[in-house]
Amino acid sequence: MKRGSVSAIINLVEPWEALEPLTTARPVGMLPFGGRYRLLDFPLSSAINAGIQNVMVTSPRSGRSVSDHLRSGRDWNLDTIRGGLFMYPYNDLKLVAPEKKATLIHHYYDNSILFLKRSHSEYSVVMSTRNVGNIDLKALLRYHEERDNPVTTVYKSVDPKQLMPQNTILQLTDKGMATAVIPTEKAKLPKTAKKAAKNMDIYLMSTVDLIEILDEANRRGDLISLEELMKQAVIQHNANAFEYTGFQANIHDLASYFAANMSILDEANFRALFYSSRRIYTKVKNEVPTFFAEGSQFRASLCGTGGYIEGQVDHSVIFRNVLINRGSQIKDAVIMQGTRIGAGTRIENVIIDKNVVIGPNLILKGTPTEPLVISKGQHIFRQTEVVTSD
Amino acid sequence: MNDDMLGIILAGGQGTRLGKLTKGTAKPAVPFGGRYRIIDFTLSNCANSGVNTVGVITQYQPLELNAHIGNGASWGLDDLNGGVTVLQPYSSSEGEKFFEGTAHAIYQNIEYIDQQNPKYLLVLSGDHIYKMDYDAMLDYHKAKKASLTVGVIPVTKQEAKRFGMMNTDETDRIIEFEEKPEHPKSDKASMGIYIFNWSTLRDYLVKSYATDKSMEDFGKNVIPSYLAHNESVYAYAFKGYWRDVGTIQSLWQANMEFLSPHNRLNIGDNNWRIYSKAQVLPPMFLTETSQVNNSMIVDSCYVAGEVDHSILSQRVSVGMGSRVVDSMVMPGATIGKNVVIDHALIGEEAVIGDDAIVKGTATDIAVVGYNEVVGVEKP
Repeated sequence: MKRGSVSAIINLVEPWEALEPLTTARPVGMLPFGGRYRLLDFPLSSAINAGIQNVMVTSPRSGRSVSDHLRSGRDWNLDTIRGGLFMYPYNDLKLVAPEKKATLIHHYYDNSILFLKRSHSEYSVVMSTRNVGNIDLKALLRYHEERDNPVTTVYKSVDPKQLMPQNTILQLTDKGMATAVIPTEKAKLPKTAKKAAKNMDIYLMSTVDLIEILDEANRRGDLISLEELMKQAVIQHNANAFEYTGFQANIHDLASYFAANMSILDEANFRALFYSSRRIYTKVKNEVPTFFAEGSQFRASLCGTGGYIEGQVDHSVIFRNVLINRGSQIKDAVIMQGTRIGAGTRIENVIIDKNVVIGPNLILKGTPTEPLVISKGQHIFRQTEVVTSD
Repeated sequence: MNDDMLGIILAGGQGTRLGKLTKGTAKPAVPFGGRYRIIDFTLSNCANSGVNTVGVITQYQPLELNAHIGNGASWGLDDLNGGVTVLQPYSSSEGEKFFEGTAHAIYQNIEYIDQQNPKYLLVLSGDHIYKMDYDAMLDYHKAKKASLTVGVIPVTKQEAKRFGMMNTDETDRIIEFEEKPEHPKSDKASMGIYIFNWSTLRDYLVKSYATDKSMEDFGKNVIPSYLAHNESVYAYAFKGYWRDVGTIQSLWQANMEFLSPHNRLNIGDNNWRIYSKAQVLPPMFLTETSQVNNSMIVDSCYVAGEVDHSILSQRVSVGMGSRVVDSMVMPGATIGKNVVIDHALIGEEAVIGDDAIVKGTATDIAVVGYNEVVGVEKP
């Protein structure tokens, strides 16, 4: 792909309520995933791996966590003299004062239009972060160029049983064209159906067409998310449907977030996501090696650097800089950066956010479908302070 | 912050005593401690000391070292007014600028140093493991109104036979220098760290190369000449952890010391971080059959076997049924199934085939070279 011929918009304005308390202070795209990444890293890496140099990231609020992660874009090679990384915060209209909201009518999409016009790109791709994958956007572009419809969508063929109410699926014609994007419950899939085309929320089209869609939405006075606009465009124009066959995780609520982390402990999934020819980039950190002490037992698990492991860890995702004290037993857990687990504490089916301190000899227990969640920065020293997630 | 002092790291030596490990790379580029290369310690010390302009003089097999240093951004040394410059020999109307000894290396790069126009020249070697504040040493140099300050470390009488020893008076002024003495008079060994007043050193070097060309080495030539000319030369005593890792045995030993959570180097100290070229790699994966004790492991390692009191660097894999004990494995090495690695240094990208045994002893460390293939039948 010639440099500069495609630009990307990564949309972090996504439904976040079902992921609380993990999303209380961060957009969905900033959720830590897989030991050292954020969800945003996956679409961003797909863009970089396809040679895309113009990237805009729209975020719902001030986006402190977003800019702290991305900084100049250097870790993604986006601190270039041509193109680069553009941040566009404050898109969540729920947080905008009514008088400010009024001024946004007919101007809500101005920044995106400006970005696209200045990119001088031929094509644009719009992505979100709730579908973790490692997609080849070059192949998507080739597919698009060989076909006639103005928009190309992406789907993953899945067993309908895996679909969640929040998913959307593509309505496909016999010729493999997408005619609509519909919510799972309205899809009326036959009970015998073995496959459904799960929408991956990736849309490719010519930049001129995307600008036209946004201009039109401005004229109408729309204040809806980019994702909704894209769905409308599919219905309006019909779309090519590109099948993605790689690893995908579906992140909509706490249970699915937990399951997605657990799923990459399967070695085949781990390798598919992280060891393909397309690497996943993230903010680099200078951490010391992780130390595994005498008597530690660390099995079937992932671990970031900077850790200090004395206890027993089984089937868990352990992020950077985590301290696990002697005699603790950790099973089926997601433990994020900077957290400390006290000696003798037992943990099972739990998600622990960043910089948490869990005291010694406690029991933290959830279930696979209702994992216990400990939110960011909490210090828990008594069993009575362990509140179950409901 | 220090704009008066220019750092020069001498990274051109061949490191013959590291045998196979430096066959294709310079000693400062040899991996250390799981995610570092030896030169990272010196470069990080510069960055942490506020020495923001650093020249790295290379000569022997510099490619890996150059790639590692890049523009210095990994150490925060991609400064607007300064940064890292890799200095390689080049040809000029006066001939080719290869160099013979430490002082000659400085002389050959006199144009670069003049460009920077420093008041003080900090000369460092790129093959020591330590954390040191060069700014504190400069304060000492200024307070003593010295012409040259030499970093020294206390050593035992036995060790003194391997070092250049500094004999000082009660004010720490150096009055005598002895190279590898049989009967040492002091315990102050030179660390190969010098702060010079640049204009004075420049005069000495220029004069020497215009006449008898005697100023080849700092220890052998420059310091004796300074003392003979009654320059004020002082010893700056360093009391922290410091290791010369110039031999297979000392490199292995320093790695094993690095493993100890009580190592005086204190690698986890956030106030004096050791930086390295950051690589984006997936997290480490330890399988159900892994057994890891007393060991350090980093990103992108895959462990299905047993690792005991060892260091695994990036992208190392250890197959099922294998046992790695008292060893350091360098980046990208692949260890097959049912392998025994004991008291060994395994070079980068080495391949150890199934059932192979690489076994050394505490006094005779086994070494597998870079890209070496052990125990795999040729097709």
